[in-house]
Amino acid sequence: MNDITISHLRKVYGTTVAVDDVSLEIPSASVFGVLGPNGAGKTTTFKCLLGLARPTSGTILFGGKPLEPATFERIAYVPERSVLYDWMTVAEHVEMTRRAFTSFDHKRAHELLGMFHIDPRRRVRVLSKGMKTAVMVALAFARNAEILVLDEPTGGLDPINQRHVLSLMINEAAKGNSVVFSSHQIGQVERAAEQIAVIDCGRLVLEGLVDDLKGDRKIVEGIFPDTTFTLDGIANDARVARSDRTERILRLMVTAGANDIAAKLTAAGAMGVRVLDLNLEDIFLYAVSPATATTDIVAKGTTS
Amino acid sequence: MPAVLTVDPRSGVPIYLQIIEQIKRSVALGVLQPGEQLPTVKQLAIDLTVNPNTVARAYRELEREQVIETSPGRGSFVRANGVAEAPKVAAEIGGDALDVALRETKSVGLERHEVRELFELALQRWYGAELSE
Repeated sequence: MNDITISHLRKVYGTTVAVDDVSLEIPSASVFGVLGPNGAGKTTTFKCLLGLARPTSGTILFGGKPLEPATFERIAYVPERSVLYDWMTVAEHVEMTRRAFTSFDHKRAHELLGMFHIDPRRRVRVLSKGMKTAVMVALAFARNAEILVLDEPTGGLDPINQRHVLSLMINEAAKGNSVVFSSHQIGQVERAAEQIAVIDCGRLVLEGLVDDLKGDRKIVEGIFPDTTFTLDGIANDARVARSDRTERILRLMVTAGANDIAAKLTAAGAMGVRVLDLNLEDIFLYAVSPATATTDIVAKGTTS
Repeated sequence: MPAVLTVDPRSGVPIYLQIIEQIKRSVALGVLQPGEQLPTVKQLAIDLTVNPNTVARAYRELEREQVIETSPGRGSFVRANGVAEAPKVAAEIGGDALDVALRETKSVGLERHEVRELFELALQRWYGAELSE
């Protein structure tokens, strides 16, 4: 079993709380996306997952068992920043990784480097940021690991190579392995991830299946004949996460039951009632900055 | 299966619903024939670069709606009673499109008789004038 259970994870550095009470179930045979603004606590969460940082409190279980030396062989990690040695060649890194991990597939590593058009004879010093990312991705995916933890695995890559990385992730999930990745490119997460978690200021602010979040979260908008309309039973509906009222226009962000709430608006006398879809970027912006996200949400929403 | 499927992950429409809609459309149009084999979940996931579970969810829903059938070890197929199935799927797609259109006409305040007039005009545009004996 490759599923990962994070329970009440907390990590404090000095007086800074980097991760605060984060609990996640990361299933096997799936791609799990972690989103969050810079400094939100994504990398710290990953480091705790990998045993590179000791949690202040909370537990992390792999297939029901805590991290043990044998688990390291099963986990591959692509860090956000390059950990490659400038003075070594790419081929030397392949060789070094082969010696460190028994299940490493040397041939596969070179195939993947070929896919990314990286000459293994080159020294890391001369590689661009994107090429370094590609080398780390190639090393990780040649590990035959069951759990892949990828921190910004497409950083600096061109769109073709970004798509290669997404395909590799999908392929691992299809084989039954667990893939956890973070990215600031929401479009990638939206495409490849089945489930997401949004972390902001060290806290888990949203989680769920991408398709369910999109299916449930909608904007419901209506125009009333005058400004004196009342909202009894709508504004305090638990499914309404936010309501904005500008003169005769009422705009509601709902977390479920959009059609039902749209019908209520019509019954209350609203005209032009529309239900607008939200994409993951809209949902993300709302989750991390509810106060400022609305204009973005409305501008990007499309009529369903 | 011909490469007829594409998904737009940036859309607000869940990916599994996009897959369902396109497979239904392909069945209705005869692009997918009764008895024809669909790609495996894994293959379609890799082709579309979407999560395998997302494709599996679409297939499960299509099975539940009796558009496709899956036999363990053999794969997923368009149901063989497709002669009866295709018009039903086509009617469903048409009905959904009309729902969207009518929600819009209602929301902008058009009355029933006005919608009927508009519908007649649109019908003539797309289907030609009705021949009366």
